[in-house]
Amino acid sequence: MQATIAQVLLEARDLTVDLPGDEGVSRVLDRVALSVAPGEVVDVTGPSGAGKSTLLRSLARLLPRVDGTLLLDERPADEFSSSEWRSAVALLPQKPAIVTGDVAANLMLPWALKVRHGRPAPDENALRVGLDSLWLSDVSLRRDAARLSVGQQARIALLRVMLTSPRVLLLDEPDAALDAASSAAVAAGVRAFVAGGGAVVRVRHREPDELSARRLRLEAGRLVEESRP
Amino acid sequence: MSGDAGVLAIGWPQLVLAAGFMVVTGLIALAMGLGLTRSLWLATARTYLQILALGLVLRWLFGVDSWWLVVAIIAFMTLMAAMTIVRRAPDAPQGVLAPTFFAVSATGFLVTFAVTGLVVQVDPWYLPRYVIPIAGMVLGNSMNGIALALERTFADMDARESEILALTALGATPWEAARDSVRTALRAGMIPGINTLSAAGIVFIPGMMSGQVLAGTDPLVAAPYQIVVMVMVATADVLGSTLAVMLTYRRRFTHDGVFLEKGLR
Repeated sequence: MQATIAQVLLEARDLTVDLPGDEGVSRVLDRVALSVAPGEVVDVTGPSGAGKSTLLRSLARLLPRVDGTLLLDERPADEFSSSEWRSAVALLPQKPAIVTGDVAANLMLPWALKVRHGRPAPDENALRVGLDSLWLSDVSLRRDAARLSVGQQARIALLRVMLTSPRVLLLDEPDAALDAASSAAVAAGVRAFVAGGGAVVRVRHREPDELSARRLRLEAGRLVEESRP
Repeated sequence: MSGDAGVLAIGWPQLVLAAGFMVVTGLIALAMGLGLTRSLWLATARTYLQILALGLVLRWLFGVDSWWLVVAIIAFMTLMAAMTIVRRAPDAPQGVLAPTFFAVSATGFLVTFAVTGLVVQVDPWYLPRYVIPIAGMVLGNSMNGIALALERTFADMDARESEILALTALGATPWEAARDSVRTALRAGMIPGINTLSAAGIVFIPGMMSGQVLAGTDPLVAAPYQIVVMVMVATADVLGSTLAVMLTYRRRFTHDGVFLEKGLR
């Protein structure tokens, strides 16, 4: 028996979330447990409305009234301020949020925030390298971000969050609305991120790719390991 | 009803005649099928009753030499203004009445007494003939400004729901996430004020100056009053709106900075 013990980077225990809905408050997550190791990509699947986005937001501490325990590097969540936690366990929402301004302004947005005061911001060269790594070589830093295609905007949003060097990336359907080329570029970005020791939890409906180490299914509030085909 | 020398006083027959204008308006509403005829009659009746009652109350008040009565009346007007604001901003979260009341009263008392004490220099400081009408103008205008600013701030935050989620996910504080909505609302509230200041005297004769001139005041005496009132109203509007929005925007977030979008509240 192989005695490899994977170090756990992010761990969730007994995550329970109740949310108001059309028919009163309902339990969306019911004592969910999840752990992800450095260099690992975990995919979460499940029917629409099963609570996949809720799970990611709970892991990012972006939901109110969440019960359960969250640990990062074995340190409990309450040892971090909410801003510090969200910087380390970074959620990329499904809908890319592009702010008014050019591509550079969008990529530099995180360094306009108090949580990163005093931390060195990437220079234009680093931004350019980042764009190239996500197959956006033809996109100028001065291009109005609102004029980019959906696939380009999705990659700008992914690059923006990756440039902040989080420990864990939580990706909510990162390639759902993308064409094959954009989707492959996103996969290249994810591959580079985990190669650098990061961990990824992805909500994903597509067929498993070579990045996915495990596939979990969320159904009726419970998270279960999906059998490999 | 009697008036001062030089003023053409409006008596009961003229007041009844003036109601004829509303008959015309009512007939138009009826002919066009606007479904507003009853509201028009009711609103007109209320105007007659309320304004005449106001005249009686003010005449009584001007004869009473009591500072606490003046302060109590302004406090009552402030409470009414705060309650109206909360009713007119349905997108605002619960619990905004207290901070709104604070914003309205701070603005109302500060601007009113700054104007009566420093600019007009009334003596005694609570002289009702000056203090009550000025407080009325300050409170009325800041009420409209605050209601619009609150409504716009919270409606814009809801419209920016996904952007706010992305910003908080990047570690933004509630202020950093809400800032654009606050600025949009305050800017939108300030533009009509700037337009009014620019157009006054050219495009329209402001209400207070018109009133004073109609009441027999020399236009050159009325003009400085109008200038003071317009500057005062603009200040009250901006001060009240900024204070109210800054005291309430945080209520759309949890204590640890989670934005409470529609599905979470």
